[in-house]
Amino acid sequence: MSESRLINATTLAEALAAVANGARPVAGGSDLVVGARQGKAPLPSQLVAIDRLGELKGIEWADDGLHIGAAITHAELESSVNVAARYSALADASALVGSPSTRNVGTLGGNVMNASPAMDTGAPLVVFGALVMLQSTVRARTVAVGELWEGPGRTSARADELCVGVFLPSRPAHSGSAYVRLEYRRAMEIAVVGAAAALTLDADGLVSELRVALTAVAPTIIEVSLDGVAGLSVADAARVAGEAASAQARPISDLRANDRYRRHCVGVMASRAVGAAARRAAGETISVPVNRALGIGAAR
Amino acid sequence: MTTTMDAASMRTATIRADGPDKVTGSGRYTADLSMTGMLAAAFRYADVGHARVTRLDVSAARQIPGVFAVLTQADVPDVRFGPFVQDRTLFCDGTVRFEGEVLAAVAAINPTVARQAVDAIVVEFEPLPVVHDIEAAFAASSPLVHADWASYGAADALVREHNDASMSSIVKGDAASALAGAAHVVSSRYVADASHAAPIEPRAVVAQWEGDKVTIWTSTQVPFDARAGVCETLEMPTNRVRIIVPHLGGGFGGKCGFHYEAHVAALAKAARRPVKLVFTRREEFLAPDRRREGMVIDITTGVDSDGRIVGRTGRVLIDNGAYTADSGFFSQLAAMHIAGPYRIPNVDVRGHLVYTNHQPSGSVRAPTAPQCCWALESHTDEVAAAIGMDPVAFRHLNAVDTGAVGPSGQTYDEIGVQECISRAADMIGWGSELPDDEACGLAIGWWPSFSVPSGAYVKIDGDGAGQIITGAQECGTGAVMTLRSLVADELGMSPEDFQLVYQDTSVAPYDMGATGSQTLFNNGRAAVGAARQVADQLRALAAQHLEAAEADIVLAGGQAHVAGSPSVSVSITELAGIAAGGELLIGHGSGEPPGAPELTGSSCVGDVGMAAFVAPQFSCHAVRIRLDRDTGVVRVLDVAAVHDSGTILNMSGALGQVYGGVMMGIGQALTEVTRYDDQARQRNAGLLEYKLQTCADAPNIATHFVQIATENAGPNGAKGLAEAPNVATAAAISNALARLLGEPVRQLPMTAERVWEAAVGQ
Repeated sequence: MSESRLINATTLAEALAAVANGARPVAGGSDLVVGARQGKAPLPSQLVAIDRLGELKGIEWADDGLHIGAAITHAELESSVNVAARYSALADASALVGSPSTRNVGTLGGNVMNASPAMDTGAPLVVFGALVMLQSTVRARTVAVGELWEGPGRTSARADELCVGVFLPSRPAHSGSAYVRLEYRRAMEIAVVGAAAALTLDADGLVSELRVALTAVAPTIIEVSLDGVAGLSVADAARVAGEAASAQARPISDLRANDRYRRHCVGVMASRAVGAAARRAAGETISVPVNRALGIGAAR
Repeated sequence: MTTTMDAASMRTATIRADGPDKVTGSGRYTADLSMTGMLAAAFRYADVGHARVTRLDVSAARQIPGVFAVLTQADVPDVRFGPFVQDRTLFCDGTVRFEGEVLAAVAAINPTVARQAVDAIVVEFEPLPVVHDIEAAFAASSPLVHADWASYGAADALVREHNDASMSSIVKGDAASALAGAAHVVSSRYVADASHAAPIEPRAVVAQWEGDKVTIWTSTQVPFDARAGVCETLEMPTNRVRIIVPHLGGGFGGKCGFHYEAHVAALAKAARRPVKLVFTRREEFLAPDRRREGMVIDITTGVDSDGRIVGRTGRVLIDNGAYTADSGFFSQLAAMHIAGPYRIPNVDVRGHLVYTNHQPSGSVRAPTAPQCCWALESHTDEVAAAIGMDPVAFRHLNAVDTGAVGPSGQTYDEIGVQECISRAADMIGWGSELPDDEACGLAIGWWPSFSVPSGAYVKIDGDGAGQIITGAQECGTGAVMTLRSLVADELGMSPEDFQLVYQDTSVAPYDMGATGSQTLFNNGRAAVGAARQVADQLRALAAQHLEAAEADIVLAGGQAHVAGSPSVSVSITELAGIAAGGELLIGHGSGEPPGAPELTGSSCVGDVGMAAFVAPQFSCHAVRIRLDRDTGVVRVLDVAAVHDSGTILNMSGALGQVYGGVMMGIGQALTEVTRYDDQARQRNAGLLEYKLQTCADAPNIATHFVQIATENAGPNGAKGLAEAPNVATAAAISNALARLLGEPVRQLPMTAERVWEAAVGQ
């Protein structure tokens, strides 16, 4: 047990100053504390608590999209009407994270900056084209979420930068999204593999736009490169997306699954995510999370 | 959850006496204890699977300020111990045989300093070949885990050779000839991986000396075993060692046996301070000699043209791990479980308990049974399928019944296994049409009642308040809690009139502990015996007071009255007041444990008494599952659990055992597995990667108890129930899955990945 100094920041400026001085930000602590207890990494010698900063606690709808404060918890995302209605995949993912207590303390900003390839909220953020807002005492900038993650636990953020929020661009009409994951039990679980799909239907019910991203099959969340899906039927798009997901995955073998099984299942998850997203795009209500609404592991 | 029961069986569903303490947080567990001057203990583990220790230097650790004691095997009596084979020492004897072997123990001012001292201990090893495959370890050419095995002391009954710590067989008739003459013969092989009990409370031990006596507070299921271990290894008489168990936070067998009580007592003695050890979750997985054993199981069965079983051969190789804990009886019990509750005239089954460099195996809830039942009952469905017979009909034809002779030559008195099969099949809707991705499966299981000595006292003080002072240990089953009802019934009082004084070896007489589903069976007998003595005293007092004959006194409703004249009465409280001024109201009970049933026509090598089941318990579990064929994920939708465990004394406690046993069985079936690297080290020693089932995974569980009188049953006809519900669930799931896949998944647990591989034929 090493000793850590904790600063309770009362304003964002104070928090940024502390980060600039080398303090590590802590919101829910669900990665930091658990990691320290498991011996993955000792607690940093200086911590700055950011969980009570009002500047990081908003979910605000603007004409061009949704601003989500970095300290918004998974439980808040799961129960946000804006998130559930417009960015359902993010609500699906938030509702699956860990346990109720994890979801009550774990935050979106923490999730994004922890950069785990198994993070549930990552694939939804990618398919929504999310921008991550980083701020330091001297500058503020936005980074596309796909450019933030460099590897397991590694981001392109500078040492003095704090994630203050995430911006999700607005979605076209007739859009829907979903996140599904393979899981071995229905609570306290971590993704074996997962997939998010965000899709828009045209007037004929064909796919006009589709993005798919994958969880836990590469060193970071990856987006599936999809060519020629525009104009396909939903069923064909789901099949193409599933095949592309399996082909493009670069899974490892570990305690949770071997690489062959992961590669196969991520394709299944991708197809199911596309199917569920399309049903939502067509106006059907599928409750959050899709995993529970449609059966374990994903849709039946 | 639904339950079907007869009106007669709906006995009191009492609120547990320890419930409010546990729920409100006022109850204390071992780790909650704190004492003036108390030190923190920490262990230095080997962290390698098999090696010779070439250097162990604790001098630097001893120099660290705040370190009060550092102990190794050189600092404790040179005693080799073990309940069946005396194959281990408190600290490493110079050869490391598994990663959780304790090389040294530290007591320091706080956990941080203790950890620093552990890190300052210098250890050097010379690697030895790691023995981690059960079959390879069994081969004559394998390196030995214990080079000196032949020189170890061991129970007389054990048959040992090289890495085989206990070979046991059950042989009846001529199995080879029967198979040669059978109309159909089916052979199957199954492999079960190791798993863990995973109690939510990691264990803790506190030791404090006063003069030459030591008191040890510990989270054990078996306080008298713990005491015996301390006495043996520290060479002390039993009356100078007191074991107290505060509330126990779960056990599931994982806290049976003697573990770290002597280490902490030795530290406290050396440091001259109280010492507390609290395990981390990781330690709880790695170190104790309690792991559910891995197995390799081969079974061959022959049937005649009518589908009757004519012969069976089988072999179970059991992963003993590095030391023989209480596993000495596993080989024979496993043999019984692959013979199964079937009428088989010709049997040749054997078990081998094979040393490896894994963590030692030990009793985890119904040891050997879930894996063997899974294998046997999967095999049984394979046999039924081979002859085109319905699995339920096949079991009705071949399972034992009242008056039938079982595989070990035991003739059964009144038993309910046939009714268990019928009921479970009905309750699950056997034979009804299901969607393509759903199927039902069914399996039967059995489990003995363990007949052993046990003792209790009952006293009633001057105000009429009673106490039951018992050696029994409560590990969450509610069995000890139910003693209050048994005693109250004898005395015409209510359960709430009694407080329990328990889990203290210096206060109460011996009991084997929360192990072998034996608490109510044996300690119930003892408590009833003690209560009857007090009842006799009360009747004598009342007879005097009411001027009636003793034989006419009835104890009921808190009163003693004359039979036929309820108004001629005196309250028990008043009688207690009278007794307080004369001969006190004190009873003691133990009672003769029922003897083992006779076996005829069979012979057992390595017989440790497991081939004869006293008051056997039977069960049939049926399940309905849904399979996600694209991913191999199985969801258990419904479970029908039907049990013949004799009379149910406390319905809420009994249902709790069934629900918990079923959930544990689902975990074993689908997700719970301990994985190893090639150095025999655990890879998933934590609750993130060791996948217990959660409440969210629970299916509908419908329960029925077949309550019939059984010869030699416990109090009021009760048999055990703590382990039986953990026997047949995995097997039933396997059989449902086999109906969807066309054949069984031959490795346990049947993880999604393994199911998918079976489904795609890889």
